[in-house]
Amino acid sequence: MHKLLTVFPEDIYIDIKAPIDKFINFMLQNWSPFFEAVSKSLQLFLNAIGSAVNAIPWWLLIIAVFFASYKVSKKISTSILYSALLFFIGVIGLFDMMYATLAIIIASVIISLLIGLPSGIVMSASKKISIFAVPVLDTMQTMPSFVYLIPAVMLLGLGNVPAVIATTIYALPPVIRLTSHGIRQVDVEVVEAAKAFGSTKMQILFKVQIPQALPTIMAGVNQTIMMAISMVVTCSMIGATGLGSEVIKGINRLESGRGFAAGIAIVIVAIILDRLTQGVFKKNE
Amino acid sequence: MLICVAALLISSGCTQQSEKIIFGDVGWDSMKFHNAVAMYIAETAYDLETEEISGSTPVTYGALKKGDIHLYMETWTDNIPAYSGDVQSGELIELGVNYDDNIQGLYVPRYVVEGDPSRGIEPLAPDLKMVEDLKNYKDVFTDPEDASKGRIYGSISGWEIDEIMRKKVEYYGLDEFYNYIDPGSDAALSASIAGAYEKGEPIVAYYWEPTWITGKYDLLLLEDAPYEESLYRQGKCECPSVRLTVCANPQFVKDNPEFVEFLSKYSTSSELTSKALMYINENNAEYADAAKWFLVEYDNLLDEWLPSDKAELVRGELLK
Repeated sequence: MHKLLTVFPEDIYIDIKAPIDKFINFMLQNWSPFFEAVSKSLQLFLNAIGSAVNAIPWWLLIIAVFFASYKVSKKISTSILYSALLFFIGVIGLFDMMYATLAIIIASVIISLLIGLPSGIVMSASKKISIFAVPVLDTMQTMPSFVYLIPAVMLLGLGNVPAVIATTIYALPPVIRLTSHGIRQVDVEVVEAAKAFGSTKMQILFKVQIPQALPTIMAGVNQTIMMAISMVVTCSMIGATGLGSEVIKGINRLESGRGFAAGIAIVIVAIILDRLTQGVFKKNE
Repeated sequence: MLICVAALLISSGCTQQSEKIIFGDVGWDSMKFHNAVAMYIAETAYDLETEEISGSTPVTYGALKKGDIHLYMETWTDNIPAYSGDVQSGELIELGVNYDDNIQGLYVPRYVVEGDPSRGIEPLAPDLKMVEDLKNYKDVFTDPEDASKGRIYGSISGWEIDEIMRKKVEYYGLDEFYNYIDPGSDAALSASIAGAYEKGEPIVAYYWEPTWITGKYDLLLLEDAPYEESLYRQGKCECPSVRLTVCANPQFVKDNPEFVEFLSKYSTSSELTSKALMYINENNAEYADAAKWFLVEYDNLLDEWLPSDKAELVRGELLK
C-alpha cells in the first residue's frame, strides 16, 4: 500500500511513444509528395530571398544601415556606430556568412508575419478561438526545438528549408499574441464612436483598431525578429548555413575564437535589427 | 547542446565524492550500450555507484581530462585530434581496446544500386560500386538546394574524418559534381538517412558501423582503394578500422585499481556490438536491459573480463 504513495503506479502506463513514431513513419511513407512540394516551394522562396539579399553589395548595406539608423535615432553618432559595427563583421571575415543567415531570418520573418498578422486579428475578434490558440502558442514557444527538428529533417530533408520552418514555429507566437493583444486594448469608446458614425466592421478594423494598435503590433514584429535570430545556432545543427554553422564548427573543433567571432557577429546583427525596428515603432507612438 | 553543458555544470558540482563512477556518453548507441554493460558490472560485481553524463565529444572530452567524467567506454581515437598527445603526456590513460574492426565511409541504400521490387524501387545507379563511380550519378543524388549538382551528406565538422572525407571528394574530382554538405549534427545525419530510406529515395552519406542505422537499414558501403597508411590522410583510400579504446582519467585509475583491471580486459567486437544494437532496435529495449541480455547471451565474456568470484556475482544477479 505504502508503495503507491512513494512510487508512481506503473499499471496505468500508457505508451504514447509508439503511436507518435507510427504517425511519423506513416507521414514519411504516404505523404512524401506533399512534403516534397512544400519543401520545393519553400526552397524557391528562400532562393529568391537569398538572391535579393546577395544582390545588395556590402557598401550599400552599410550605407543603408547608416541612413536608416539616422532616420530612427536622429543621432549621427548612433548611425556611425551601427555602420561601424556592420563594417566590423566584414573585417572579421564573416560578411558572406551574415548574408546567408540574414536570408534565413528574413524568409522566416516574412512567413511569420504573413501567417501571424491575420491570425492575430482573427484571435482578437473571438474569445473562443483565443482560448484554443493560447495553449498552442505556448507549446510552440516552449517545446524544445530538437524534438520537431529531427522529424522535420526526415520529412523535408537537411538544410535551410527545415531551418526556416523551425524558425517560423518559434518566431510566430509573439506577433500573433501582440497583434491580438494590441487590437483588444484599443479603447472601447473609440470603437463605439466609430460605430456611431456608421463605420462597417472592416472600416473599424483597418481605420481605427489597427492604427491604434500599431505600436503593440510593431513590438510583436520586433519580438518575432529577435526570436528568429535566437534560432540561428539551433538551426545550424540541422545543416543551415551561415553564422550559426560557424558557431557549431567552432564548438566542435574546440576553437573558441571561431565560435566567439561568429557569436559576436550574431549579436551585432541582432542589435542592429532590434534598434532599427524598435525605432520604427517608437516613431509610430 | 546547452542542456548538455548545463547538465555537466550541475553534475560537476556534486561529483566530489569519488565512489560514484561517471561514464561519458557522446550520444551514439554503441557507446551507450557499452556504458550500460560496464555500469551493470560495476554495480553488481564491484558494488560501485554509476552515473552517465551526456554531451558532445568536445565537451565531454574536456570533462574527461579534468576528471568530471571518469571514463569513455568507446573512444573514437581518430576522431579526436588531441587524443594521442593526451595519452602520451599522461593526461589520459588508455586502458585497452574495446574493438577495432569497425567500418566507416560513404554509404548508399542498397536499393539505389540493386533496386527493390517489393517496394517498387528501380535501381537508379546500377553500376555504382566505387566512390569514384559517383561522378556518373550526380543526377540521382540531386541537391535540393542546388539542382545543378548532387549532394553528399558529409561527416560532422570537427571530427577528424571530416577533413579526410573532404579531401576524398576533391581527390576523386567529385567536388565538380557534388556539394559536400555539413549535416550540423549526428542526429540530423541519421535523420536524413532514415528519412530518405523510409521514403525510398536515393541518398549518399558518410556513416559508420556498428550503429542501429546500419543494422536497421540495408546500406551499401561504396568501395575505395585498399587501405594504405600513407594515403589515408589524403583521402585516397578506404578508411582503416578505428581503434575504439577504453580510456580514463588518471586520478580515477589510481583510485579504482580493481575496477580498472576489469576495464583493461574489456573487449568486444563490431559483430557483438551490432547484435546488441539490433536487439535494442527490434525489442525497443532500454540499454540496461540490452546489457543484461548481452551478458546472458555471451556468458563466456564474463570469464574473460572478470576474476571468477566477481563473474559469479554478476551471474547470480543476472539470474534474479
